[in-house]
Amino acid sequence: MKHIRCWLTFLLLSLMACCPQSFASTSPTEAKKWALKAEKAAYYSGNTARSQVRMMIVDGQQRKQFRQFTLLRKNNVENADQQMMVFFSRPAEVKNTVFRVEKHAGNNTTDDRWLYLPALDLVKRIASTDKRTSFVGSHFYYEDVSGRNIREDTFEIAEDKQSEVSLLATAKLPDSVEFTSYLVTIDKATFLPVKIDYLDGKGQVYRRVEAIETKVIQGFPTVVKSKVSDLVTGGFTLMEFRNIQYELAISDDVFTERSLRTPPTRFLK
Amino acid sequence: MHFLFSHSKSVITAIVLIVLGCAWQLPQIQIDTDPENMLVQHHPDRVFHNQIKQTFALKDVIVLGISVDKALFEPAYLADIDAVSKFILANPHVVHRDVLSLSTVDNIKHIDSGTLRFEWLMKEAPDSPAKAIQIREAALNIPLFKNTLVSGDGKASIIFIPVTDKQKSYEIAQVLREFISQLPSAPHWYITGLPIAENQFGVEMFVQMAISAPLAGLTILGLMWLFFRSISLILAPMFVAIATVIITMGALIGMGFTVHIMSSMIAIFLMPIAVVDGVHVLSEFSEKYDGNSDVKYTIALVLKDLFKPMLLTSVTSSAGFLSLLLTPIPPVQIFGAFIGLGILVAFALTLVIIPIYINSMSAPSLQALHRIHTNKGAIQHLCSVIGNLAMNHKSVWVGLAVFVCAMAIVGMTKIQVNDNPVRWFKSNHEIRIADAKLNEQFSGTYNAYLVISHTGKRQSVAQLMPTNPPAKLKPWIASLAEDISLPSLLNEIEDQLFLNSIETEQWLLEFAHTVEQAIGSQQIMLQPDVLKYIDTLEQALEEQAFVGKANSVIDIVKLMNREIVSGNQSDYRLPLRRDAIAQLLLQYQSSHRPQDLWHYVTPDYRQTLLWLQMTSGDNKTMSSVKAFVEDYTKTNPLPKALKLQWAGKSYLNLVWQENMVGGMLESLIGAFAVVFVVMLLLLRSVQLAVIAMLPLSISILGIYGLIGFIGKDYDMPIAVLSALTLGLSVDFAIHFLVRAKSHLEQSKDIQATLEYMFTEPSTAIVRNALVVAFGFVPLLFAPLVPYITVGFFLAAIMLISALVTLLILPVCLHWLHHKTTRRYEGLNYETH
Repeated sequence: MKHIRCWLTFLLLSLMACCPQSFASTSPTEAKKWALKAEKAAYYSGNTARSQVRMMIVDGQQRKQFRQFTLLRKNNVENADQQMMVFFSRPAEVKNTVFRVEKHAGNNTTDDRWLYLPALDLVKRIASTDKRTSFVGSHFYYEDVSGRNIREDTFEIAEDKQSEVSLLATAKLPDSVEFTSYLVTIDKATFLPVKIDYLDGKGQVYRRVEAIETKVIQGFPTVVKSKVSDLVTGGFTLMEFRNIQYELAISDDVFTERSLRTPPTRFLK
Repeated sequence: MHFLFSHSKSVITAIVLIVLGCAWQLPQIQIDTDPENMLVQHHPDRVFHNQIKQTFALKDVIVLGISVDKALFEPAYLADIDAVSKFILANPHVVHRDVLSLSTVDNIKHIDSGTLRFEWLMKEAPDSPAKAIQIREAALNIPLFKNTLVSGDGKASIIFIPVTDKQKSYEIAQVLREFISQLPSAPHWYITGLPIAENQFGVEMFVQMAISAPLAGLTILGLMWLFFRSISLILAPMFVAIATVIITMGALIGMGFTVHIMSSMIAIFLMPIAVVDGVHVLSEFSEKYDGNSDVKYTIALVLKDLFKPMLLTSVTSSAGFLSLLLTPIPPVQIFGAFIGLGILVAFALTLVIIPIYINSMSAPSLQALHRIHTNKGAIQHLCSVIGNLAMNHKSVWVGLAVFVCAMAIVGMTKIQVNDNPVRWFKSNHEIRIADAKLNEQFSGTYNAYLVISHTGKRQSVAQLMPTNPPAKLKPWIASLAEDISLPSLLNEIEDQLFLNSIETEQWLLEFAHTVEQAIGSQQIMLQPDVLKYIDTLEQALEEQAFVGKANSVIDIVKLMNREIVSGNQSDYRLPLRRDAIAQLLLQYQSSHRPQDLWHYVTPDYRQTLLWLQMTSGDNKTMSSVKAFVEDYTKTNPLPKALKLQWAGKSYLNLVWQENMVGGMLESLIGAFAVVFVVMLLLLRSVQLAVIAMLPLSISILGIYGLIGFIGKDYDMPIAVLSALTLGLSVDFAIHFLVRAKSHLEQSKDIQATLEYMFTEPSTAIVRNALVVAFGFVPLLFAPLVPYITVGFFLAAIMLISALVTLLILPVCLHWLHHKTTRRYEGLNYETH
């Protein structure tokens, strides 16, 4: 059996995973080593995964909104590409809205994204010049959910402690992102990224992604609760993952346009 | 009196200490330029306005515009806009996420092959003219941006800069001006917006207080020198005036009150008023002192004569100002209260300082004082001319007075109640120019918010719950808070379902279903019929004069519908399904700026806001828009369980204006009543009291009639004038009648009395009128329009009411005397 990690950890890990071509200034080999471990754990773990996700979006005024959806994911066996489906179940009026993503991890590639709106019975392809758009109004960016392409950043070790290691990442194309750099802390035992701090031009942390709760599921450490905070407004989004299952036999045709209009209900229960 | 003279040194020391103590408070001055403070803190409309600002995350906004003669959408200009935008985003006092600029907004666009694209409208400045044109087309294609962010003709663009703290807006504006001055496009930029205007007010109020008030002091000093030609004589009243101003302002600041535009005029009001009593005492002393008599005795004699009229004129003037307390506008109340008290302070200081001052004068100075009395001046000559006119053309003056009153009533019906804080700046002011320019090219920089809220009550947890809950769930049910929000309740139910118990599942699913339905029925702003209603209202509003545009969540829904469905304008419409609306809005939230949605609707979809952009900040504009909406909702009733309320600065301005108009009437009636009662007590005759009220009534009527005829707006300064001039101008009548009455009692000859009245007494009245009127003249050179208005009208009312006193009162006295004598004759006849 392949070494499988929860694909959900990849969600966070991808943000700090190291590109093979990048060389950090202080300790490139060491940073690369950690990033590679994290990348491997995240990208190449498991063929399929399923999770029921609940997002609680809390704004600066403590007003709450909820979103609920099921995530299906399947890895491409040959490369780092992935297929994803997001089926919304709540709020009731957006039920059956579906996102379909074909994530391409190659050099200079963009993901393919589609959207299905049941009320209008319309399938749309979504194009975006960048991936830093909000994921359905939450504090997570689309990129936080689909995974930031690791080739876009360079890494160096910021701090190496007994149980954790911190990598400082900078975007190769600074104009494509709103942050100046980010600092990701990786748990040495699980390789899970437990905290990512985004820094602005003045070196201030303005955004934070944290793993709030991790569990071992089917033998693998898994983030079951993560939180992204907007440190400027005080708003945050809490994401809870439930009913996590790996290695479900999900056939390829589930990840096609056909599922947009006819969701694979047996995976959504 | 004896005490005063024996302890003069300690008394003066005490006064000086009080003045110094109050002066010490002055540096703590806090300027208040927020028009919101025209309403009390807990005023329902103000509370609601602030609640709406909080709910919809609306901040005070600096408006920065660029406007060029030809095409703005050229790489060079756009590069400057981009540079300025980035510079703004680097400012820590700016709310970054809400800055609206070509560089910070999203372009949500339907492109070929059924693709929806989210992209920054102007990620970076374009490098070719063709790309610049593309940006223009994209911006103008989004109705929310057209004429708000970019002018329809493509020649101008605005950057909206929300600030975290409006106290910082002057600072922000300064660094912006500096940054812009280095750009090639520098001459084309304009800056305005309420926080800027407010800050500018503050700066110019200081200018007024630092320049106009001392200038008023100098004018009074010069005028008194012309009258009395003796520096030593006028020094004491000047000291009284300055001490009064310092004590009053020190007390106001020391007691923690802020200085508003009205209070900033306190010095200029108090100075001439404070001087007047001193002038009376000195004049009277110079008249009674023959060069050899005992100084203390003469002073006592003078005060015995003058105490009552001085007290009464002080009381009436004070009452005029204190009546402003009846106006429910805090800054006007503070202004009225402190000037009212200041007048009493001036009265007390005059009684204490002037006698001590005279007593301490050297013999030669006293001789000089005596000589003043014998000087005849131009004023006396003027008075005899007025006297001749008054006495020889009585019927003309009566006729004229009646005519003026009649016309005034006609004029007053034409009075237009209106105000506009931006117009408080002169028309050539930077802010007025920017304001005019931007409102000509855009949908408007003046904001009002029409808030529509759901009034329906939500069901309680118990009401939503299916019957017969499983026993296993009882502890959980008991733990549910009664006020839990419905989405949170749904979450709780989900959590229970997640525990995977077969016996509870069915019940929980049913519960979840009812809660979901309840949530749906609460989300009123997702319902097509409600949105349809708001849409029609919005379109009707946009047809109103001065309403440039109404923006709402509907514009977002329509935009999303168009871009998702086809990109064709024919799809720029509201879908008729609730779920379609919700799904479009969910997609809108997948942009770079999801938070923009919450400026128009609350996340629970129970309250929505229409942002009205108006090209005029006139209260009458707001008033007509409000009236239009009232009429509209009468003919087109609001959907069930909805209520409509107003917020926004333009609306608040209207509210305090309405308060002011009503309040001023009360103030005027209050002041009139107090003054009339004082007159009754003083003159002990109803007829004389009525006569005493005539000149000022005619003057005030005349002035307000004139305002109606010439079309000058009845604004805050004009409104405030009425009550306080009543208190000031009655002084003339008091002096005239008191002295005429006492003369008549001795002479029994009305003709002789009136002739006497046009010598000494009229001279004093004209002098006082000139001192007060000219004291206000420096206001004409003030930087803000309300000061000029107050200066002009107060000076005019003072002069006119003095003139009316001198022309009308003789006629009235003459008539009254004849009537009384005839009656006495009649009585005599009957007793014979």
